[in-house]
Amino acid sequence: MNQALTSSAASLAKPARKRVPIARISVLTLLGILLVTQLYPLLWLVLYSLKSNEEILSGKFFALPKSLQWTNYKQAIEAHYWQYLYNSVFVTVVTMVCVIVLASMVAYAITRFKWKLGPVVMLIFLMGMMIPVQSTLLPIMMIFKNIPGLMGTRWSIILPYIAYQTPIAVFILSGFMRTIPLEIEESAHMDGASIMRTFRSIILPISVPPIVTVCILTFINIWNEYILAATFISSAKYKTLPFGVNSFVSQYSSNYGAIGAYLVLGALPVIIMYFVLSEKITKGMVAGAVKG
Amino acid sequence: MNALKVPARTIALFVLPCLLLYVCLVFVPIFYSMYTSTFDWNGIGVKKYIGLDNYVNILYHDKVFWPAVKHTLLFAVFSMLEIPVALLIATLLNRYVRKPNFFVSAYFVPVILSVVIIGQLWKTIYNPASLGGMINQTLDSLGLHSWTHSWLTEPDIAMYALYFVALWQYLGYHLLIQFTGISNIPTEIYEAAKIDGAEGFKADWHITFPLVVPIFKISIILAFIGSLQSFDMIMVMTGGGPAHATDVIATHMYNMSFASSKFGYGSAIAIILVIVCLVATVIINTAFNKLEKKIG
Amino acid sequence: MRKSTKWMSVALAGALTVSLAACGSDSKDNETNTSNGGSTTETPKAENVTITFQNIYPDPSTPAAKILDKIVKQYEAEHTNVKIELDSLNTDQQKAKLKTQAASKEVPDITIVNPAAQMKDYVDAGLFAPLNDMLDKNGLKDTFQEGILNWYSFNDNVYALPDGNNVAVMFYNKKLFADAGIAAPPTTFEELLADVKILKDKGITPMVMGEKDTWTGSFLFMNILLRTNGPGFLQSVVDGSKNFSDPAFTEAVDAFQQLVQAGAFQDGATSMDYNAAENLFKTGKSAMYFMGSWATGAIDQSTIGPDAGVFKFPTVNGKGNTDEYMLAPGSAFAISANSKHVEATKDFLNYFMLQFPKVSFDEKNAVTLAQKVDGDFAAAGYSPLQMEVAGIKGAVKGGDLSFDNTMNPATSQVHLTSIQNLFVQKVDSASVGKEHQTAYDSNK
Repeated sequence: MNQALTSSAASLAKPARKRVPIARISVLTLLGILLVTQLYPLLWLVLYSLKSNEEILSGKFFALPKSLQWTNYKQAIEAHYWQYLYNSVFVTVVTMVCVIVLASMVAYAITRFKWKLGPVVMLIFLMGMMIPVQSTLLPIMMIFKNIPGLMGTRWSIILPYIAYQTPIAVFILSGFMRTIPLEIEESAHMDGASIMRTFRSIILPISVPPIVTVCILTFINIWNEYILAATFISSAKYKTLPFGVNSFVSQYSSNYGAIGAYLVLGALPVIIMYFVLSEKITKGMVAGAVKG
Repeated sequence: MNALKVPARTIALFVLPCLLLYVCLVFVPIFYSMYTSTFDWNGIGVKKYIGLDNYVNILYHDKVFWPAVKHTLLFAVFSMLEIPVALLIATLLNRYVRKPNFFVSAYFVPVILSVVIIGQLWKTIYNPASLGGMINQTLDSLGLHSWTHSWLTEPDIAMYALYFVALWQYLGYHLLIQFTGISNIPTEIYEAAKIDGAEGFKADWHITFPLVVPIFKISIILAFIGSLQSFDMIMVMTGGGPAHATDVIATHMYNMSFASSKFGYGSAIAIILVIVCLVATVIINTAFNKLEKKIG
Repeated sequence: MRKSTKWMSVALAGALTVSLAACGSDSKDNETNTSNGGSTTETPKAENVTITFQNIYPDPSTPAAKILDKIVKQYEAEHTNVKIELDSLNTDQQKAKLKTQAASKEVPDITIVNPAAQMKDYVDAGLFAPLNDMLDKNGLKDTFQEGILNWYSFNDNVYALPDGNNVAVMFYNKKLFADAGIAAPPTTFEELLADVKILKDKGITPMVMGEKDTWTGSFLFMNILLRTNGPGFLQSVVDGSKNFSDPAFTEAVDAFQQLVQAGAFQDGATSMDYNAAENLFKTGKSAMYFMGSWATGAIDQSTIGPDAGVFKFPTVNGKGNTDEYMLAPGSAFAISANSKHVEATKDFLNYFMLQFPKVSFDEKNAVTLAQKVDGDFAAAGYSPLQMEVAGIKGAVKGGDLSFDNTMNPATSQVHLTSIQNLFVQKVDSASVGKEHQTAYDSNK
């Protein structure tokens, strides 16, 4: 007990470490069970990726592969893995950067500038948050086919991705920026800094937490996106990872082991990166009025 | 709040690039959908103008539409109810666990995994016992054979089975958002509260919860959007079957446009979906703004 | 609308430039020389041609993909100026993509469609090029089996060339039948029901059905209808001489329900997809499997391959001719009428189809072809099961196409769900008929 008190700073952030042990144990048990249920799919996926089609389709919940099917991985890599991985990374990174730059500019303008149309613009963006992609494939194609050299390139999916991610990004970023005290900018303004400079060197750095949030949301929505990509991309040169996963689904057969291997290859780098960065991510991620 | 006075040029520079792109690729398509929703059109051939007939048919004669709306809204309700749970878990993590980041990351894993794999996994859980389904086999071995169900194919149960998967998958997502909100509350506030005699759950009630309201709002809206657009998971697990028992608005719209080749009709469903969403967003937003004012 | 989309495009192009500049990303994509549907690129000289070939053979380990790849490589080697760009998608995605492309008149040079009713809309909209002249070149037309091209012809023009020609058969596991003490496969529906009961009592799943993919159940139902009515029921509905309250239709519904109620199908059939269901049969967990003859190869190569046999779908209530089958003319290659290089594409497809039977034969994938095959199946090592199926195919005396190949998509969807519903609850057959009739009337 004393020890807990003296070891201090941490115990302040976690105010009640000295609770009754029973409560602590039961909570930890609960959290532990959750840990198992949420992490099990990862183990399952790895096992899955090493099984034969028959073993997978037999539908056993827990079963080890009889012999490890490394050929699944060979097939997955042969299905354009490196090319698709490169495309996925390229598309995702470009989209993220553009979403953050564009959305934070708009969010700043909406929350800070004095202009009549601000609320209208906000409303327009709010409306778009809910549009399901499936309903807009056709109109987007109608527009794109009139722009020479766009259809079928990476930009033909990056542009819609940006457009679909900005509303939620504007929503989150403007919620945060509203809470930044105005004095900060006013003093910078008086020192003669331009709006652009204030934005770049003061507002953006403060906004890192919600920006991280936006990054994660964007990533989740885009990394596995298939419907839009499948509609606009035709050349293997520009296809992304979900094409690889789906390439093992044919009309009258599916190669599940290879699908699993592809998913492992597609998700594992991300998961590892995520675990490594998680401390930074959770630290950095926050939004809204907390700071204000 | 007073705002910065800037020339129109600067405003344009900040807003137009994004707004134009967004209007062209999100807004124009909605208007285009409104336009096609007034036609009887198979997507390929000649369009036939029929006014609001599609809407009338959807609202009054479509046997699938209203159940799909019900499924969608229930989905939204469950997803939103999950957020307090996520907040509670986040609080517990923050309080009882030495390295909470590891847990948060681990809980987040299902969100990253493709829906293809999530679907396969849950099928092995829901399958009939004869096919090695986990739940049913466990029930059987406990002698509870009468409790076993064909979880994904009994019309009354299937939808709930799907909700459960979605809730399970997205728990980590909301947990992450809530957790970061909590861990960014300055520790000084707790110290001050401790001096005032507020500790443990009491401190949570008076400090943590009010301070995370804005994040709570983001989570609620994300949950709402997510459930209204839920599509992939249902397509993978049941395809909307048996006999539309698990159709939601998005799957119904997709089936109408692409499987039944009724693009006009599908567009009309999309427009209805957009309107529902818009109304809901405004309601949620207003409610929270009021709440924030009250607390702040 | 045309004008306004043009205008929007200009605006978008502006927005694009601005926003890309704003991103500070100067990554100009220099590789924009793709030709999507041949619409965007003017080929500088007629010699260099890129043909986009949309197809549904994405998995490189399947015979279909191997055959495709082999012929394409061969052609490219012989025609160095031609590049074939394969857009290989899974079936559902290809269907949705083609619909979106068709709606914006952006059909790729070669695409894939299903026969009859499923391709009619495209043909009516003038999206496909007639292939008659190309069929006459190099005697391509004569390689096709008698009558098969009719399913792809409208107003005396052929618009697509099929990759296969199948019929529906009942695969069965001879060993499981013997274990249950069933001497011979059923020839009447009553026998079938009796066998279902025997198998079920022995703890063997009588039949599997991947009813998440709703067409599978419909396929079986339509075969029952083919027996109770004889061929052409749907056609008579279209002609107006019959409707869905016809006794032949309700009789078929009742028979189908008998099968469901007898517990013929595995638990949870409506959430199980094609692959999972077929796998149950292929791993010996089920005694019967009703499917198109395209499944022959996969069953043949499975563990129960040597025990597998086929039988003709039995008569129902003493009605029907067992030599009439559910016919499944395969998916077919069509050429876009708006292709920038129709002639080059025709030349390629002509070559492709001429090579198709030979290469398929070598890949042991020729039993289900729509073309005549030179070669001795038995000598080439085709299995007894393959030979049996080939025999059935040789003795087909007509039949019907599947529901969605005959009726328009909207009516078909109602039908498919209606049949799926029979798997989960008992329904009055008259109301099933009524549901069909309403759907048909409102989607004419």
